[in-house]
Amino acid sequence: MKKMSKILALLLTLAMVCGMFAACGGSSAPAATEAPKATEAQAAAPAATEAPAEPAPADDNTLPRNETLYFAGQQWGPVNSWNIVGTNQNNSMAIAGNAGGYRSLMFETLFMFDFMSGEKKGLLADSYEWNDDLTEMTVTLKDAAKWSDGTPVTAADVAATWEVALLTNNGTGGSYKAYVDTVEATGDKTLVIKSKLNDAGKPVNPLKVEDFLTGTPIAQAAWIKTLRERCNDDPTAILNDKGEDVVWSGPYTKYFADEQKVVLVRDDNYWGQDASMWGKLPVPKYIAHNIYADNAAGELALKAGEVDVCQQFIGNIQNLWLEDDLPISTFYDEAPYGVCLTMPTAWYNMNIPVVKDNVALRKAIAMATDYEAIIANAMTNQSPTFAEVPRSLMNPTAGEQALYDHEAVKDLQWAGNDIEGANKLLDEAGLLDTDGDGWREYNGEKISLNAVCPNGWSDWQAAMQIVAAAGDKIGISIEPEYPEWDIMQTRFTDPSQTDYAIFMWSPDAASPSMPWGRCNQFLSSEFVGLQNNWSGNWGQYVNEEADKILKEIPLTTDEAKKVELYTELVKIYLTDVPSFSLMYRPNLFHAVNESVWTNFPSADDGRNIPPADCTDGYGIRALYELELVG
Amino acid sequence: MKHTLRNIFHSSKFVVGFAIFMFLLVMIIVYPLINPGSPLEQIGVGTFARPGTYVSLYDAVKTTPETLRIQDADEKRMANALTTEDKVAMLEWFSAVGVDVSGLEMDDSEGFLELWFANYDESAKPKGFTMAKRNYYKRLNRTVLDLQTGEALVVADPDNETGELVKIGEIKKTDYVNVGQVTNVKTLPLGTDNFGRDVLKELVGATKTSLGVGLVAGIVATALGLTMGLLSGYIGGIVDDLIMFVTNLFTVIPGFILLILISYSISPDLRGPTTVAAVIGFTSWPWTARSVRSQVISLRNRDHVNLSKLSGHSLLRIVVTDILPYIASYVVMAFILQVSSGILSEAQLSLLGLGPKTTVTPTLGLMMNWAMSYSAHINGTWWAYLPVILTITLISFSLNLMNTGLDQVFNPTLRD
Repeated sequence: MKKMSKILALLLTLAMVCGMFAACGGSSAPAATEAPKATEAQAAAPAATEAPAEPAPADDNTLPRNETLYFAGQQWGPVNSWNIVGTNQNNSMAIAGNAGGYRSLMFETLFMFDFMSGEKKGLLADSYEWNDDLTEMTVTLKDAAKWSDGTPVTAADVAATWEVALLTNNGTGGSYKAYVDTVEATGDKTLVIKSKLNDAGKPVNPLKVEDFLTGTPIAQAAWIKTLRERCNDDPTAILNDKGEDVVWSGPYTKYFADEQKVVLVRDDNYWGQDASMWGKLPVPKYIAHNIYADNAAGELALKAGEVDVCQQFIGNIQNLWLEDDLPISTFYDEAPYGVCLTMPTAWYNMNIPVVKDNVALRKAIAMATDYEAIIANAMTNQSPTFAEVPRSLMNPTAGEQALYDHEAVKDLQWAGNDIEGANKLLDEAGLLDTDGDGWREYNGEKISLNAVCPNGWSDWQAAMQIVAAAGDKIGISIEPEYPEWDIMQTRFTDPSQTDYAIFMWSPDAASPSMPWGRCNQFLSSEFVGLQNNWSGNWGQYVNEEADKILKEIPLTTDEAKKVELYTELVKIYLTDVPSFSLMYRPNLFHAVNESVWTNFPSADDGRNIPPADCTDGYGIRALYELELVG
Repeated sequence: MKHTLRNIFHSSKFVVGFAIFMFLLVMIIVYPLINPGSPLEQIGVGTFARPGTYVSLYDAVKTTPETLRIQDADEKRMANALTTEDKVAMLEWFSAVGVDVSGLEMDDSEGFLELWFANYDESAKPKGFTMAKRNYYKRLNRTVLDLQTGEALVVADPDNETGELVKIGEIKKTDYVNVGQVTNVKTLPLGTDNFGRDVLKELVGATKTSLGVGLVAGIVATALGLTMGLLSGYIGGIVDDLIMFVTNLFTVIPGFILLILISYSISPDLRGPTTVAAVIGFTSWPWTARSVRSQVISLRNRDHVNLSKLSGHSLLRIVVTDILPYIASYVVMAFILQVSSGILSEAQLSLLGLGPKTTVTPTLGLMMNWAMSYSAHINGTWWAYLPVILTITLISFSLNLMNTGLDQVFNPTLRD
C-alpha cells in the first residue's frame, strides 16, 4: 500500500509538472530578453559560405547601437531555416511574404510592390510587358543584379526557382501554379512567363501572374541544383533542408540567430550599390530582432528605445507621445496613424442551417453590431469608421475605393447599432420569440450561436464581445468563445466544421491583384470544401452569380466595365451578408522610436515611401535614407 | 451563546475585520440601488476614461450661462496651453531657425506667441529635429493657435433643408454654467475600463460574484473536508488510510496546479462562476480534512464518546452530537479561511484566463484579466486594476482578521 502510494504520487507529480508547462506555455509572463551566452553564440554562428569578418556577437553590447536597427513584432520563436525554397522557415526577417510586399532584406523579388501607389518598382528586373491577349509576359532583368557569390542573376535562376516550386509545391508553387504555366529563359537577362489558360483559351488570371513578380523571392539556379542533388530531388527533403549554404542577392545576410535574437549583417558587396538600383548601401550595418515573449514585452522595449521599428498593434498609441513624451511616431501623426489595408471580418458559417437559411438573421446581427464601439474600443480609433469609409469589399485606400459605385449600393448599407431596424427585420422574417423567454426561435428551436476568435488576441476578443452584446439586444443568443489559437486554426480551416457559427478572420491586404483577390476570398465558391483551407471563403458561402463575375473581372480591361462588375459584387455582398467586416486595420503596424535613428518614412515627407516597416516591398527604400539622430 | 458572542465582539481584530466585511456587504447591496442597471453596460465608447465628473458638453452649451469676470481666467488658459516646457521647446525652435530671442522674458507669454507665429513654419525641417519632435511642434502650434480665437466661439446648427450653418448662439470667455443646472452630468469615480464600462459599478458587481464564488467554494470545501475528516478520524482503519492517502496526494501536488489543470480541461462554455467555485472547492478540502481528523482522533477516546458508544448510539449521532460541537468553532474558522482562499483562487485563475467565461457577470479576476490584456499596467491606467487589487486585499484581509479574532477567543492557548 505504502509503496503503491509513493509510486502513484511520484507519477502524478510528474504528470502535474508536465501539465503545468503545457498549460502555462501560452500565458507565462514575459521574460525580458536576455543576451545570449557567449558559448551559445559561437555554436549558433552561421556556417555561411562567406563567413562574416567579425566574430559572432557575444551579447547585445557588441552590436554597436548606432549601426544597428532593432525590430519588434516580426520574429516569434527561433529561426528554423534559411532555405528560401523551403517551408516553415519561421525566419521573418529574411524570409517573409507579406501581403504588403515581399520582405527583401536577404532575398529579392523581380519587382517591389508599393501598396500606397499600387506600382511595381524594379528590383532584380527592370521592366515587364504583356502581349495583347495577356497570355505571355516578357520580363527583362537588371544588368547589374548579382548573387552574393559574384555571379550575375540570370533568367535561368528565375526558371529554376519556378521549377523547384512546382516540384515541391512550396509557397510559390502553391500560390501561383493555378495561374502561371511556364517560366522560360529566352536569354541571359530576358524571360517569358506564360499564363495558364482556361478551356476557352483565355488566361485564368493575369492579375495573379503580376502578383508573381512581386511575391516570389528568386533563388540561385546553381544553389538550387546543389540542394536538389543533396536531397535526391525528394520534395519533402528539399522543403525541410536547413539551407545554411544558401546564396542570396539582397543587401543583408544572416549573421547570428538563436532563441533570443536574430541578427542580419549588411553585405557590403551588395549589387544594389550600382547606380541603376539604389546607388548606395542601406544605412544600418546590422538588422537585429530580439525575440520577445509577447506584445507587451515588445511594447516595453519600444518605449525604452531598445527597439527602433515596431510592427505591433499598440492600443492608444498616441499616449506614447502625448502623455509619455517619448520620441515615438507613426506614419500619420493623427488617427488612424497607419495605412489600413484590410478588414478583420466576422464570417458566418453556412454549414449551420439556421445561419445559412436566414439572410435576415445574418443581416440583423450585422446591423445591430456597434461598429463605433469596436473601432473606438478594440482599435482605439486606429481605423476609419464605416461612416467615413462605407462597408464594401474594398480596403480604405483611394485606389480601391474608386473601383465601385458608392451611390449604387447606398441603400444596402447599414450604420450599425441599429437595434430597432434589426428587430424589425427579424420580426418580418418570422424569426420570433414564440415562447416568451426573451430569445427568438427558428423552427421552434432557440437560436443560439457563438462568436469565436483566438484567445489572447485582445482587440479581436473585444470585437466578438461587442457582437455578442448586439445579439443580446435583438433576442439572439450569441456566446463569445475564445479557443486557443492552435485549436482554432484547425477548426475554422476545416470546410465541414459546425463548431463556430460566427468567427473572426482577416482577408488579405494588398497586392497587385487586389481588390480582386479579396473579393474572391469573400465570395468565391472556389474555396468551398477545400481541406485545410487557408485561402478564402471560410464560411463556405456559395453564389453562382458572384462566381461568374469573379471569373470575368481579371479578363476585363475596360475600367468602366470593371467598376460595374465590382459594384455588382458589392451589391451581392451587402444583400446576402455572407460575412461582415468589423473594422479596418493596417496590415503592417509601423511605429518608430527616434532615439537612435531618424528620417523614417512619414505621410507628409514627400518621399512616398510606404510604411512597410522599412523592410517590405518598396518600403525597404527607407533603410537607404535613415539617419542617426544628432 | 450570548457570552461567546460578547467575547467575540470584544476581540478588536474580529471587530475590525467584521466592520470591513460588513462595509463591503453593504456596498454590494446599497450601491446597485443608487446606481441601477447592468454592471457590464458599455457606457464609454473608447477605452479607459479617466476617473472624474463628466459634463455633457451639448447640454452645457444649451444651459443659460452666468457671466463671471474671474481675474486669472485668461492667465490660466494661457498657462494651460503654453507651459514652461513648451516655452523652452519654442526657444529651441527659435535657435534652430536662427531667430534672435534676446530680451525675451520667460514669463512674457505674449512675446513668445508673437515670435512663434512670426517664425513657425509647419513644413520646415530644422536639422537634427526628428519626426517625433516636429510632430510635437505641430501640436503645440495647434494649441497656441486656439489661444488666438476672439472673445467668443460661435455655436451653429446646420439648416435642415439647405445644410447651411445658422448661428444659434455664442460662448464668451466669461460664460460659466452651474454644473448643477446641466441636465446630464455623470460622475465616474473610478473611470471606465477597456470596454468603456463604469469601473466602480463593475467592481461592486464583481465583488458580489466573487464573494458568491468564495462562499460556494468555502461551503463545498468545508463540507467535504469536514465529512472526510470526521469519517477518517472517527472510524479509522482502512477508511482512514484511504482518506489520508488522498489528502497526502494533495499535499504533494500543489493545489493550484491541480486547479489550473481541471479548469483547463473544462470547456469554456461550461465554465460559469458556479462551476469554477465548485472546482475550487473540490481542490481545497484536504487541509480541512486533515486538521478535522487530528482533532477527532483526540476526541474519540474521551469518556463521553465512549459512553455514547456503550449506549449503542449510531455513528451519525455520535459524530453529530458528541464530536461536532467540540470542533464547531474550529470549523467556522476554517470555513472563513476557505472563503478567503476561494476568492483568491478565482482571481488567480481568471488572471490566467482560466476563470469563469462569462459576459453576463463580472468577477474580480476577469476585470484584472481584461486590464492586463489591454496593458493597463503598462499604460498607467491604474483605475482599471488597482481598485480590484485593493478590493481583493480588503476581502481577504477582513476575513483573515475575523479568523484571527475568533482564534483568540476559542483557542485556549491564545486566550488572554
